This record gives sequence, C-alpha cells and structure tokens, in this order.
Amino acid sequence: MYQGIAGALLMSVGFNSAPSALAERVQSGLMDVGALLQRVNEGDQSAWDDIVERFGGLVWSVARGYRLGALTDDVVQTVWLRLAEHSNRIRNPDKLASWLATTTRNEALRVSKKQAKSISLSEYPDASDSSVSGLDELVTDDDTLGHVLRAFTQLPEKDQELMRLLCTVPPLDYATIAEMLGRSIGSIGPSRDRSLKKLRKLLPAGLDDQAQRQRKDTAE
Amino acid sequence: MNSSAPGGVPDMTDDDLLATLGQALAAADPMPDHVAAGARAAFTWRTIDAELAELVFDSANELAGVRSEDVNRQVTFQAPGVEIEVMVIDDSTRRLVGQLIPPAEMDVELVAGDVVTSQRTDHLGRFTFDLAEPGPVRLVVLGADGEILVQTEWVLF
Repeated sequence: MYQGIAGALLMSVGFNSAPSALAERVQSGLMDVGALLQRVNEGDQSAWDDIVERFGGLVWSVARGYRLGALTDDVVQTVWLRLAEHSNRIRNPDKLASWLATTTRNEALRVSKKQAKSISLSEYPDASDSSVSGLDELVTDDDTLGHVLRAFTQLPEKDQELMRLLCTVPPLDYATIAEMLGRSIGSIGPSRDRSLKKLRKLLPAGLDDQAQRQRKDTAE
Repeated sequence: MNSSAPGGVPDMTDDDLLATLGQALAAADPMPDHVAAGARAAFTWRTIDAELAELVFDSANELAGVRSEDVNRQVTFQAPGVEIEVMVIDDSTRRLVGQLIPPAEMDVELVAGDVVTSQRTDHLGRFTFDLAEPGPVRLVVLGADGEILVQTEWVLF
C-alpha cells in the first residue's frame, strides 16, 4: 500500500483535508444540500455542522488565496456568520458553493485594501504567512503531492489564483470563477489550459507513474 | 493532452492534475481546527426574528484608484425605515462613530463575539464605540423594552 506523507497527513487532520473522501460522499449524493439547508433553516445545528464540513475547505482555500495572514480567520468567520443569517435566502442550493466563494472574496478584498494602506502589495511579507512555511515543509518530501505543490508555488501569482479556484471541493462553476477574477467566462477555459501547461513544465519527469500508483491505491 | 511538453506528465489528465493539486493544497494547508470550531459556532449567533439591516454601501468596495488612502472607511446598513451609517475615524485606535437615520434616542449595542457593549444614542442618533478586538462585529438597535428592533449584518472593520 502506498503511504506517503500525503496519506499520513490526510489521515491525521481528519475531514478538513480529506477531499477525496468528501468528494465521494458528494458524488454519491448522500448529502443533499437543499435538504441540509432546509434543516438549517429549521434550526438544526447538526445540519449546519454538515454544511461546514462539506464547504469549510472551499471557504478556507479561497480565503487563503488572498494572503491575508492572521486576518484569514476573521474573514472566514465573517463568511460563516453571514451564511447563518442568509441561509434561508439561498433559493438554489446548487449555488451555495458560489455564494460562499464570492462572499469570501468580497470580505477578503475589503480587508486586503485596508492592509494595502500600511504595506504596499509588493512589500507584503510572504515569509510571515504561515501557509508558506507549511508548504515548504511538505515539498521537501519526495512524493506526488509535494511535487505538484512545489510546482504550483513556482507559478506566477495570476496562475496560482486561477488554479486555486479550479481545484476546490466542491468545484466552482466557470461563471463564478470568472466573476471572482473579474474576467469573461470565455477566458477561463483557455487560461486553464495555459496554466496547466505551465504547471506541467515545472513537474519532474516520471511523476506520472507515481501519480497513477497513488490514485490506484486511493481508489482501493 | 499530448506528452510533448518537456518534463510533462503524459499519463495525468488535466482533471487528474487539478484534483491532485486540490489534494496537495488541502493536505499542506487545511482549515485549522479552531477555524472549523468557529464556523460551527457561527450558527448559535443566528437570530432570524430580528430585522436584518443589510450592508448597502462600503467605501472599501470602491475602486482603489478612486479612493484616497486618507479617507476613513464608511459603511451604510439599511433596513425598512432605518439606516445606520458608520465610520472608522482612526485606524490606530479603531474608533467607530455612527448615526441612526432618521435620528432617534435609542439603545444600541456593539456585538463582538461574546463581548457586548451598550450605549444610548444622543438626540441626533449618534453613537461611538471603540473596536477593542479584531474580528467580525454587528450593531443592534434595541426597543424600549430591550427587544431587538434591527440588527446589522456582521462586518469586519
């Protein structure tokens, strides 16, 4: 059985970082968002907890893309407080991921503009961002996730921004991604292709075998 | 996807690669437990009976090029029949000044997590709070019997 640091990490931190297990549950339709929202609106805390479990990683990842440092926590908390009071206004449950992502973006931008007053964006100290040191630790390990992550962090910021939104669980539709980035919907597909090509060029040769093996093991 | 790219990964489809990236990001940078706990606890703050004053204007949303850096953050909340205008007048002390429109002498509260600060507005509906801690806050306007008349959306100053 393949067991790299990625596997160990996935198991050690529980639901927060188990997108594959989560994706399976999503796909098998065990959790219907409409039914969950209905129960939330009736005051059911456990349904709310299910929503947090299912969409928490999405909100967190989107917020992290704005490099807000410690303010990330406050942005994420604001988003969940908002949802708690807007849950009964979300008419189309399919749009919950989109609503959460755009709300996160809006809150992050408000805060980041405030930050930009004291520190210009070019001076923003990436090194103080705990996510960066976390990434560094992982990429020193020789495995597929580490390689992909290392390649990702070497991409230009624009590509990172797009790819982060393209790989969320659950996924965001192109319309939402386009709105969040202030681009046209038609540009997302071609940009995705270009960013993926750049990412592939940064990956070491022969990674595919490892990737295949890991995927096979994960599926078993 | 062909394999002509140098150092390319011929066997991974684009979708595979994105899924792997998603896994990598989630493994390297998962939502911390305390953030998840906060998200779950957000539900206990839900108050569906009170009128919600929505954020209808936020100077932080205006285009950066248009907004002078010296201008204070201004926010307007609106509910049927009432507006609440708020401004952060000093970024260092984080002093919040605001006004009810139409003006009225009312009890208002600043809710910041578990910390609630109360105040009576003056005859022009004005109030002042100091934002002691970072984090999302909301304003609440109380009626004569202490009931919640209107409360704002949560906002991060």
